[in-house]
Amino acid sequence: MRLTVNRVQYDIDVEPDMPLLWVLRDELGITGTKYGCGIAQCGACTVHLDGLAVRSCQIPAQAAEGSKIVTIEGLGTPEALHAVQQAWVEHQVAQCGYCQSGQIMQAASLLDTNPDPTDEEIDRVMSGNLCRCGTYPRIRAAVKTAGAKLRGA
Amino acid sequence: MRWIVFVAAMIVAGGAFAAGEHGLDVNRLEPGSVSQAEGLAAWGRIHDVVSHPRCANCHTDDANVPMWSGPEYEKPGPHGMNINAGESRIGAEFLPCQTCHATSALPNTVPHAAPHAGAPWMLAPVEFVWFGQSENAICEQMRDPERNGGRDGDAMVEHILHDAELRSFITWAFDPGPGREAAPGTLQEHLDDTIRWVAAGMPCPGD
Repeated sequence: MRLTVNRVQYDIDVEPDMPLLWVLRDELGITGTKYGCGIAQCGACTVHLDGLAVRSCQIPAQAAEGSKIVTIEGLGTPEALHAVQQAWVEHQVAQCGYCQSGQIMQAASLLDTNPDPTDEEIDRVMSGNLCRCGTYPRIRAAVKTAGAKLRGA
Repeated sequence: MRWIVFVAAMIVAGGAFAAGEHGLDVNRLEPGSVSQAEGLAAWGRIHDVVSHPRCANCHTDDANVPMWSGPEYEKPGPHGMNINAGESRIGAEFLPCQTCHATSALPNTVPHAAPHAGAPWMLAPVEFVWFGQSENAICEQMRDPERNGGRDGDAMVEHILHDAELRSFITWAFDPGPGREAAPGTLQEHLDDTIRWVAAGMPCPGD
């Protein structure tokens, strides 16, 4: 099976129903994507599959074959952060940080389709990403800052 | 609107899913060969299926909110996580259903996980509202081509067969995986009842 992760092709030998999260972390050693619940209840494992934010714990490896997968490692680089990553730094969003790669991937997907979201729209899209530290007010502020940057405002 | 393009892209992606065999026996019946009483009895069993939470939870009204109801829940309530599927009914305006509900024909094996099916997860079209509706209201909707996707009786049967080929939502309802109560009966029995109901002229309890 061949997967494309962060523009790199990998040939892997796994069961067709192995969740993409397991493939990323255990087979490929790409560990920025976090395991939280394994049942799509928390959002920590969010990655982009052909541009759509998905919970990688729910995607069978078979279903990801032929798609472009982007993880937090592929969203930006330390030298050239994605606007969402930059806003996360500016707002010092993270507390413990465990959920934040999922939060950032979901926020980037949100802004890709809606670069100027209202508070209600942010809450509707981001409510599936849980943060036990309760950083939600800073997440909302950072999403708005990133949106403004992406709009050139 | 950008989400309309997004919807189109997701539907195309879903349509690319390889169709398989439906694996069902199609015991077709001549129109009029089934009595009104037998047709109504078949409808009653169809209603037991379509009003079951596995089906009705995603046949909701124009608030576009899927429901969480059934024996797994203390009481019926809206889907958690502040979910609203929007006018698109697939969540394109907010959080797409597919963010958590994968498109995969593989069996559902993990308890409490977001269920998946062989078609992109979505609410049924808004005119197909079943949740909280009376048995007769659901029956009237299902036989009305203006409100059932333009389907006559034969197309209703084909709808089930096509669903089974994809291992889509109707098929999933009878095999939802651990931790979720299945719709009553089997997909084969549901197909047989639909064929009987159609052959009887789609009678409803209020006729």
